[in-house]
Amino acid sequence: MASTSSTVPFYGSIREEDEHNQMKQQQSASTPTSSTAAPQTTAPVKKKRNLPGNPNPDAEVIALSPKTLMATNRFICEVCNKGFQREQNLQLHRRGHNLPWKLRQKTTKEVQRRVYVCPESTCVHHDPSRALGDLTGIKKHFCRKHGEKKWKCDKCSKRYAVQSDLKAHSKTCGTREYRCDCGTLFSRRDSFITHRAFCDALAQESARIPTGLSTIGSHLFGNSSMALGLSQENSQITSLQDQSHQSSNILRLGGGSGSGSHFDPLISSSNPSPFRPPQPPPSSAFFLGGGSNQDFDEETRSHHSLLQNKPFHGLMQLPDLQSRTTASSSAAAANLFNLNFFSNSSSTSSINTSNITSNQNNHLMISDQFSSGNGSTESTTLFSGNFMSDHMAAGMPSLFNTSMRNESSLPQMSATALLQKAAQMGSTTSGGSSLLQGFSSASPSGAKNTSFQAIFGGGSNGSGDVLRFQMENETRLQHLMNSLANGNAGLFGGSGGVAAFGGNCTTGGHEQEAGGFGGFNSGLCNMDEARFQHNISSAGSLGGSDRLTRDFLGVGNMVRSMGGGVSQREQHHGIDMSSMDPEMKSGSSSQSFDGGTL
Amino acid sequence: MGGMVQDEGSSSVTSSPLQSFSLMSLSPAAQLMSPPVTWLRELKSDERGLYLIHLLLNCANHVAAGKLEHANACLEHISLLAAPDGDTMQRIASHFTDALARRVLRSWPGLYRALHPPSAAAASRLPPEALLARRHFFDLCPFVRLAFLVSNQAILEAMEGERVVHVVDLGGAASDAAQWAALLQALRARPEGPPHLRLTVVHDQKEFLDVAAMRLSEEAERLDIPFQFHPVLARLENVDVEMLRVKTGEALAISSVLQLHTILAADDDPAVAGHQRKTPSPFTKNSNNVQLHRIAQMSHRGTLGELLEKDPVNGYSPSPDSATSSPLASAPSPKTESFLASLWGLSPKIMTVAEQESNHNGPMLTERFTEALNFYAALFDCLESTAPRMSVERARVEKMLFGEEIKNIITCEGAERRERHEKLEKWVQRLELAGFGRVPLSYFATLQARRLLQGYGCEGYKVREEKGCLFICWQDRPLFSVSAWRFKRFE
Repeated sequence: MASTSSTVPFYGSIREEDEHNQMKQQQSASTPTSSTAAPQTTAPVKKKRNLPGNPNPDAEVIALSPKTLMATNRFICEVCNKGFQREQNLQLHRRGHNLPWKLRQKTTKEVQRRVYVCPESTCVHHDPSRALGDLTGIKKHFCRKHGEKKWKCDKCSKRYAVQSDLKAHSKTCGTREYRCDCGTLFSRRDSFITHRAFCDALAQESARIPTGLSTIGSHLFGNSSMALGLSQENSQITSLQDQSHQSSNILRLGGGSGSGSHFDPLISSSNPSPFRPPQPPPSSAFFLGGGSNQDFDEETRSHHSLLQNKPFHGLMQLPDLQSRTTASSSAAAANLFNLNFFSNSSSTSSINTSNITSNQNNHLMISDQFSSGNGSTESTTLFSGNFMSDHMAAGMPSLFNTSMRNESSLPQMSATALLQKAAQMGSTTSGGSSLLQGFSSASPSGAKNTSFQAIFGGGSNGSGDVLRFQMENETRLQHLMNSLANGNAGLFGGSGGVAAFGGNCTTGGHEQEAGGFGGFNSGLCNMDEARFQHNISSAGSLGGSDRLTRDFLGVGNMVRSMGGGVSQREQHHGIDMSSMDPEMKSGSSSQSFDGGTL
Repeated sequence: MGGMVQDEGSSSVTSSPLQSFSLMSLSPAAQLMSPPVTWLRELKSDERGLYLIHLLLNCANHVAAGKLEHANACLEHISLLAAPDGDTMQRIASHFTDALARRVLRSWPGLYRALHPPSAAAASRLPPEALLARRHFFDLCPFVRLAFLVSNQAILEAMEGERVVHVVDLGGAASDAAQWAALLQALRARPEGPPHLRLTVVHDQKEFLDVAAMRLSEEAERLDIPFQFHPVLARLENVDVEMLRVKTGEALAISSVLQLHTILAADDDPAVAGHQRKTPSPFTKNSNNVQLHRIAQMSHRGTLGELLEKDPVNGYSPSPDSATSSPLASAPSPKTESFLASLWGLSPKIMTVAEQESNHNGPMLTERFTEALNFYAALFDCLESTAPRMSVERARVEKMLFGEEIKNIITCEGAERRERHEKLEKWVQRLELAGFGRVPLSYFATLQARRLLQGYGCEGYKVREEKGCLFICWQDRPLFSVSAWRFKRFE
């Protein structure tokens, strides 16, 4: 008989020896084995592969009863009835009772190889020629194939007969994935298949398109190609507007059909000169920051279609604005202002340089009349994100482009956002609108914080906080403005940048102040001043003031709810920025802002 | 005042139209004037949207207060701004004004009947357009699909190991054989093999039942699942549990997708519920004029804020709706209770309930109006995010599905008002009162729902799990809920 070591490879099991010994012990102890050793057939010669189930022909074949196989504690202590799986353990236990005990010594005697057959007569392993080489193996086999599946996975409710199988499964449950064509992921193959059935069922539903509208039945189950058709349309629109994947938001742009679509060509015709050719230093810096030409183009386009109704006044003004800038006004810079300008222009019916004042006037009137002094105007707040996002896009290379573009590509407020806004207007006036309160409460707050940090860069974290604090307190405005101005000056080294942001802050502060006082005149005057001082940058400052106002009101929530997950991402960026090293931050951003805001 | 408004609106170029808008909001008198067309047309989308909301809320208040002339002025304004094919708010406005106008018209039953002959309305079968709209809704928005998926998963899990399964579909407009085709497939894939399946579908259209029977029988045959289809041609409120023919020994699953709320209407039926309220005279569905006059005594001024704050019909509740404030016990709904109790009596192993997560069953019109405005605004936003404005399908969903529901919520009263959506918290109360115990949706069901949404490709839809129930949200607003229940013995 082959030695243990030589047989191990045959059975591919190292437990062999242990089981073997134990089995031997068991038999010698005459533990019941109902169907005793099967006829000692020398196993057939078919020994092609040494797989489990092809035992060594010389091995002793043992058949155990199902009961024996399933038994867990076969060695019972006669004193306390405690059961043990192994004889050795029982013997050790007996010592505690002061019973005679005997640990089996390592036998030097050559051991007989044993193999085990499955008691299930229909099973392939019932045949001695397919006997399994170890006792644990046959136990598990019997449980798995012929036993009850007692162990259930909590996560996916798959059942196992052997506990260790469940343990193994639970380690991987939920980690492996199957992906359906519809994009759904599955951890388990069978649930994947189940889903496929469901998915296919739906697909089949969809495939049954009725040819006519003759019977109700056909309507019921037919005609679902809509989704397909729609998505195609959507994708077209998407590609039209933007190559990015932010379809849902951009779709809305496309949804603007009438206005949205006819702007594109117009814009591209009026824009090319500033945008297409690579520009001299300032603008090229901008472009570098913003990514590729094309990239930027997309972005602007989305902006344009964003401001559906009146962007052209703004566009017309481009030359004006440019001529007014003292420094070499790069096209990119102009564009930046343009965008800001647009974002502002959304509140006014028409815009020209002289009109900026009236624009502000409108703000005044509205905020004055609308809701006592929170200085919010519906539409000005709408696109207030743009300013920030533009700068971000300029300053932060392609990294942030998508998210930025995404946010800024919200063409208009969703109905939900409008309702929220209406509720806020109502609540500020009356202090507690019963009608819309449930609705407005749904909006989380948090956007404002972020936007501030984003605007003023990480360079002045502190000032951002101060700002917010101040805003909330509505006091010590002077301090607020100072800190803001300081922060910005430090941040954006370029003169243009300072001008723009300085104006930005002051006006913002004033507007806020005005809001706080309910009267708007002083705010107006100051804003005008600021604007006239930095003539072109006033466009930027308006945008800025809008945003400040908005954030002060907490209306930023709206944007967030509109953007959904997107703005969430954006928040992160904002935070990232602010968490960067201030010095580095100011360095990099001032550079890009120079290019951008000059 | 009013003249000034118009002057400023039309003459000064530099001032924004919004200025006049704001003035108007301060002076309700201005709304009685003919609308200043010029500046209204110049409003930008968002300004227009806000203005529309303002007008709509005003109008609803006027209608509720019975100030028909004011309401008329509002409607006139809105008609200049709203458009069923415009931006989201324009679309919403056009459907809500339709509903409001109908409601006003209902105070003159003669006029209303003449314009809307009952023969057309009485036909219980839905027009094919409505069925198509359902279909499109199913395709365009994931809500119903998710409800099916999660319900099926809960049923599947509850029926694990069962050999004889009886599924009762309480039917309704959102009912769809697709759900059961999917369940058949899932049952086929069970490790223990498919059970004997008996499917009872309650529906008020014979065509629907015929088609479903044919299609599902085919499917079951193809999958080699022993299958019986048992149609119950009736409206849910007329269903007696005897008709469901539940047998002892079979494992029962009950599924309701956007249907259970319709039984709430039965309690409003004067024949059933009587006039147990403080209403001095029996209010039937066509006696709204009485109530309108009554409410008309309420004074009214109209800044937006006041409108939002004020509750002009306070303390007046003409029908046994479940007011948000009053506890369930004080709003007796015998029919609902007995129906749920009879379902409980069938001792179902699982009952899945998908409902709209919004309270459209308030007694006050203004309350319902605002709730509905918010709820449907979110739904319109969903469509806006998926379908182009010119889409026929989208228009159909908006008109034939949302529009009809809005009309029902706003226009109808009494037993006719069937779209009595209520929030899950209400259903939890009701179902627990009826003896049902909540079955938390499984991890896997939630996971599947999430993944379906992931694959849906549209950001904005979310799934939120709360106390074992599932909310399907648009952005952060829950729009639909799915919960699972089972028979629980009273201690």
